[in-house]
Amino acid sequence: MAEKIIELDNISVTFKQKDKTIEAVKNVSLNINKGDIYGIVGYSGAGKSTLVRVINLLQQPSSGRAKINGDLFYEKIDGNEKVIPLKKLREKRRKIGMIFQHFNLLNEQTVVQNVAFALKHSSLKEKEIKAKALDLLKLVGLEERADAYPSQLSGGQQQRVAIARALANDPEILISDEGTSALDPKNTVQILDLLKRLNKELGLTVVLITHEMEAVKRIADRVAVMENGEVIETGGLLDIFTNAKHHLTREFVGTESGSAKALATLQAANLVELDDDQECIQLTYIGAAVSESLIVKLYKDFDIVANIIYGNIEILQGTPVGALFVIIKGSAENRERATAFLKKQDIIINKVEEGELVNG
Amino acid sequence: MAELFTKYFPNVVYQGWNGDGGWLPAIGQTLYMTFWSAIFGGILGLIFGIGLVLTDSDGILPNRGLFSFFDKVVSFFRAIPFIILLAFIAPVTQKIVGTQIGTTAALVPLSLGVFPFYARQVQVALASVDHGIIEAAQSLGATFSDIIFDVYLREARSELVRVTTVTLISLIGLTAMAGAIGAGGLGNMAIAYGYNRFANDTTFIATLLVLIFVLLVQLIGDLLARVLNHKNS
Repeated sequence: MAEKIIELDNISVTFKQKDKTIEAVKNVSLNINKGDIYGIVGYSGAGKSTLVRVINLLQQPSSGRAKINGDLFYEKIDGNEKVIPLKKLREKRRKIGMIFQHFNLLNEQTVVQNVAFALKHSSLKEKEIKAKALDLLKLVGLEERADAYPSQLSGGQQQRVAIARALANDPEILISDEGTSALDPKNTVQILDLLKRLNKELGLTVVLITHEMEAVKRIADRVAVMENGEVIETGGLLDIFTNAKHHLTREFVGTESGSAKALATLQAANLVELDDDQECIQLTYIGAAVSESLIVKLYKDFDIVANIIYGNIEILQGTPVGALFVIIKGSAENRERATAFLKKQDIIINKVEEGELVNG
Repeated sequence: MAELFTKYFPNVVYQGWNGDGGWLPAIGQTLYMTFWSAIFGGILGLIFGIGLVLTDSDGILPNRGLFSFFDKVVSFFRAIPFIILLAFIAPVTQKIVGTQIGTTAALVPLSLGVFPFYARQVQVALASVDHGIIEAAQSLGATFSDIIFDVYLREARSELVRVTTVTLISLIGLTAMAGAIGAGGLGNMAIAYGYNRFANDTTFIATLLVLIFVLLVQLIGDLLARVLNHKNS
């Protein structure tokens, strides 16, 4: 059992406006293990940013319990509220780095000053602070721009500075609040790979908030999906991608894997209008690719004719994940036996009904 | 040249350089009043401006009571026309300076007249600092003083220079009125020695000098604001 570094129990955040209360986060419990890259996805307004701000108490919850790295930050159970003292919170916050969509660098300070700002309250002397700031800039590959102002840098470079700044106090957690959402695809990939590298080299726990499944797919180990202030599904990356339970998760995954495209094609071609002895299914398989022989086997052993209409393969956490859309034709009994056989081969089967994926 | 000047500006020459009603004392009084009331009013305005931003509901130290206090005081003093404030504040001036008239006495109403204007300007300037930057600083464990000095004041410095310029120019305007309580200065020269004595040439030259002063302030302010801005370089 891995060590938990972020423990959120029954966290709710409500905002009171004049005559209405908005529940931004509803009763969310989330545990994040040390050394994980944890993706939190959802559309804007789902409450992702509000939830992660509870981690460093930039947002104080209305109820629940937040324990970070063993320290109780907030607890309110039965109206009894306990909040970590501000002075202690400041010290703890330095161990939780955070980067933002719009970088939020100090515009009137140079790159190296921005990083040094984070070290203002460290025990280091001025000279050591400068040296450490330069080291951090080297880590993110920007040491030669140390004396530039943020506005002279590209978005990707600014985010690197923000990462260097966030890492200044050797944090154990790094929160990325849509950290790649304002970047172009090339910079996005570079920043994500940098986060992955830091995760591996420094053992940094990364909380990645994003609405882009692409980012999660590239580096996350575990994923939580949020909608309307609630976490609707959590799981390992492979699990979420291959075997999502919730329709929204599938929607998210679908926009990234080819299946949304495939379904659209199917619908457009009227291929989903099937005869009584036909069925359209999606086969998802992890690891070694399914070979042609499987199709042959279906025909030989089960008297099923399988017609491949779409195929796609993706690499998740270094593992190939394949998706095949096939129309199988045969008697109902044979189809049942065939799918049972496929399931035994660790192939995940989803039925396609009226152009929608349903759990098989 | 000198003869020509004497011919067309007889009253200006009549006033002389030194002595009572001379040009040098008038210029000196205007500079003196502008400088010191800018210092006192500026400090007061800065405190109130910062206070307004910090204690506002979305500030880093939200406090409805304190915000309301800053807000009411600023609104109250802003509402009083300066020429009336000069008289209204006289008893306080008497207590602080020991006299109600003269150049030094004028510093009290001038400071009180300019600070609410400056406070509002500072409030707007500081509020222009992106909330995300404040949040980032908080996430780094910054203290309140870090946020005030390294974030608010430093990030908004170019904007602060700009509003200070505007305020200084407005203050120069106020010093002209201070003549009403015997503070002297170029404004008094233009009215008391120029207008009241039908000496249009004196009014003209006094106005010209005020204009040059204002232009200088504007020029230096603009230059400084540009040098200090790295937001969109």
